Amino acid sequence: MSRGAEAQPAAGVGVARVAHFATVEQQRHAAVLGIWAWLVTELLLFAALFLVALILRVQHPEAVRAAALHLKFWVGAVNTVVLICSSLTMSMAIAFSRMGWQRAMVRAMLATAALGSLFLVLKGYEYYADYEEHMMPFLTVRPYALAETPATRLFVNLYYVATSLHGLHLFTGISILLGMTWMAAKPGFLSRHQNWIEVYGLYWHFIDLIWILAFPILYVVNR
Amino acid sequence: MIGERGPRDDVVTPLRSLGPEDRALLRRHLRAPILTFLALLGLLAVNVTLGATLPFAHVWVVELLVVTVMVAIILLVSMEVRREPPLVRLFAGLGFFWVAILMGMTLTDYLAR
Amino acid sequence: MSGTSAIDSGIAEREPHIPEPTLDRPADYLHAQSTLRSWFLTTDHKRIAILYLASITAFFIIGAVAAGVVRLALVVPNGAIMTNDTYNKAFTIHGVVMVWFFLIPSIPATFGNFLIPLMIGAKDLAFPKLNLTSWYIFMAGALFTMVSVVLGGVDTGWTFYVPLSTAFSNTWVLPALIGVTIVGFSSILTGLNFVVTIHTMRTPGMTWFRLPIFVWAHYATSLIFLLATPVITTALILLIMERAFHIGVFDPAHGGDPVLFQHLFWFYSHPAVYIMVLPGMGVISEIVPAFAQKKLFGYRFVAYASIGLASVTFFVWGHHMFVNGQSDLASLAFSVLSFAVAVPSAVKVYNWTATIHKGRIRLDTPMLYAMGYIGLFVLGGLTGLYLATLAINQHIHATYFVVAHFHYIMVGGTVLAFLGGLHFWWPKFTGRMYNEAWGRISALFIFIGFNVTFFPQFILGYLGMPRRYATYPPEFQLLNVLSSAGATILAAGYVFPMIYLVYSLWFGKRAPANPWDAKGLEWETTSPPPPHNFLSLPSVPPVPYDYPIQERETRSQHR
Repeated sequence: MSRGAEAQPAAGVGVARVAHFATVEQQRHAAVLGIWAWLVTELLLFAALFLVALILRVQHPEAVRAAALHLKFWVGAVNTVVLICSSLTMSMAIAFSRMGWQRAMVRAMLATAALGSLFLVLKGYEYYADYEEHMMPFLTVRPYALAETPATRLFVNLYYVATSLHGLHLFTGISILLGMTWMAAKPGFLSRHQNWIEVYGLYWHFIDLIWILAFPILYVVNR
Repeated sequence: MIGERGPRDDVVTPLRSLGPEDRALLRRHLRAPILTFLALLGLLAVNVTLGATLPFAHVWVVELLVVTVMVAIILLVSMEVRREPPLVRLFAGLGFFWVAILMGMTLTDYLAR
Repeated sequence: MSGTSAIDSGIAEREPHIPEPTLDRPADYLHAQSTLRSWFLTTDHKRIAILYLASITAFFIIGAVAAGVVRLALVVPNGAIMTNDTYNKAFTIHGVVMVWFFLIPSIPATFGNFLIPLMIGAKDLAFPKLNLTSWYIFMAGALFTMVSVVLGGVDTGWTFYVPLSTAFSNTWVLPALIGVTIVGFSSILTGLNFVVTIHTMRTPGMTWFRLPIFVWAHYATSLIFLLATPVITTALILLIMERAFHIGVFDPAHGGDPVLFQHLFWFYSHPAVYIMVLPGMGVISEIVPAFAQKKLFGYRFVAYASIGLASVTFFVWGHHMFVNGQSDLASLAFSVLSFAVAVPSAVKVYNWTATIHKGRIRLDTPMLYAMGYIGLFVLGGLTGLYLATLAINQHIHATYFVVAHFHYIMVGGTVLAFLGGLHFWWPKFTGRMYNEAWGRISALFIFIGFNVTFFPQFILGYLGMPRRYATYPPEFQLLNVLSSAGATILAAGYVFPMIYLVYSLWFGKRAPANPWDAKGLEWETTSPPPPHNFLSLPSVPPVPYDYPIQERETRSQHR
């Protein structure tokens, strides 16, 4: 990888080679390529949901607008800020890992996990507010606020599928991050597995990127 | 949770106790992330303002353009695609190209019905 | 063996300490360890390939039995043999199991897993633990679906079209859907592993244009795994939500659009045809040069055609939807683009035939399968052009013509390539030779049985017999009986290899490292290979397919 051009790796920072790779360089390259291949599939996974949102907009413009005006615009906006902050702390964790500042890196990772959890808490509050406002059309036992325009159901339900799928990714991400932080706090971690932080960072940034797409596509452009 | 003292742990604690060399190192490493952070917040502010006020018809075109810029910044700077070898850049672009195929070919149906 | 001869000559009786017998071969991957744990927790790509081979063979048997039930029901026109419900469940089990649990993983997960590291001179795939995880995910998903079969079956067909699957079917659709969704992740992870392996794990000197076509084909297949599978995952998630919570996105009663499901479904499922076909093309591209002892004709064209097919296939999914209310513009675009698929397919067929031309041909079992493949693939491919034509499609859409067409591709193509590859690399996988005479006989049985089964279906479809119906007008009975009779010949052709291949495991002749005089790094190592594939780093020949007969020679002979 070409990152070395910017900053020479600090002392005690590196990657331990696994037996079936010939060189460390090959191993690092494989890890980066592997995570990118995974992210490509994640992109297409969410793109299909965004396509459904687009088709709903084409077929039922008025209903989609009515449904979008009922979404919690400001909670969504605050959550976007939270995730942008978490991207910053993740970038800092990667920077510290390259500098060999292990304790700072661990703190940045914990901050990232905390911000991710804050996002989920706010999301939970948003779902609760939706529930209070009778905006859960998939609950058959509960009356639905926009029942007079049936096509709004489709967009609101799609909103739940898309945001809960994103929330699931975030939840998985936080779990992995906490597990990795636990390992990364041990002595010698950076000399053996520094690239885990970089690879994980790509995944975290990408979940943020998906939200940065989902927020305007669901909340903003349909207003 | 906090582990044993790493190689440079002594210098981490309060920021003002850092020596000039470490400050320079920190500045060099954190410049891009902080600038990215500010740019993303600024662009988000534009979009939120547009979404809240709806100043003119078809404002969604502007909003989508702003989102495109945000996505490009995350990919190129935060995810460091600009520094990766061509193969990784190709992979990063490939997904978006395939999204375009999915959306474009489906729209030939829905926009022409 | 030196150990036994020492005992025979009585040395053992005089010498109280019997020395460890020296093995006549180094411990291979099959015999390195023998505990159950060493199989089920292995990270060796070769052992994982064997795990896949055993599991997909089991699924093949289930799917084939279901096909037998379908053909049995269609012997009589009035559906007297079984209830319509049983018939619907039988063809659904056949389709679901064959497509999702046999054809999709068949060649990539077994041969691809086993051979890609060998062919590129690597010790393993890039992510061995992920590879094992893929197998467990595959088994979890497949067993989930099997649960729905045991509980009472599914009657939606393998395509799970809405609104039948969401609003009308009273069968166990939900577990089947969840199982198929899970299996998708196994495909994605296998594809990811292959892509990264082919990019990063090639041995020094193994450049892209020295790779066997098998590896090119698997690279193209893996790209489809990565780019198409997530879209069907989303489609199936929405379908699960639709069935469980009635979210309405695909439900016309709420303003949803069933055609949207078909778009998402075929965005994956058409490219999935090439997930099934491309690896088979890779297998044929290895067998044909080996049994013609001739360099593969037009290597670069065949390599590029693999990537070409994998890309073009993403632009043609709408040809499954010509009569489903899609816009005329979309139908026109999809029809024109579908014709483009013929170009890279034809490039491959011409290159195989040109390779056979003036070769030193040996008609051993793998070559018989390969030649059968080429013929049947041509027929299946050309009938595809009929289906891509808008006007003709109106007449034959959803008839037995379509059934025959895709069976010529899926069985005539993929299954024949699978069996050909299985016989070709069996000595490498197991270290044993099978009975050649039985191999040739069963290849012939399969070729004849297949054509007797499916050629009548072209005629039936053209005459207007719709697919998936349990009953049909009496005038179609003759052709249906013929088709069912062919299926029994085909079944015999499948049973023979299961017997003589298993027999060879214990009683077959020991296989040499390279029984076919074939080229490629997988033949440089022992049969079966040692745990880390090569005892010494193999050197890569400067040209791939460096067989004795070269194109230039034959051309000069021709003059």
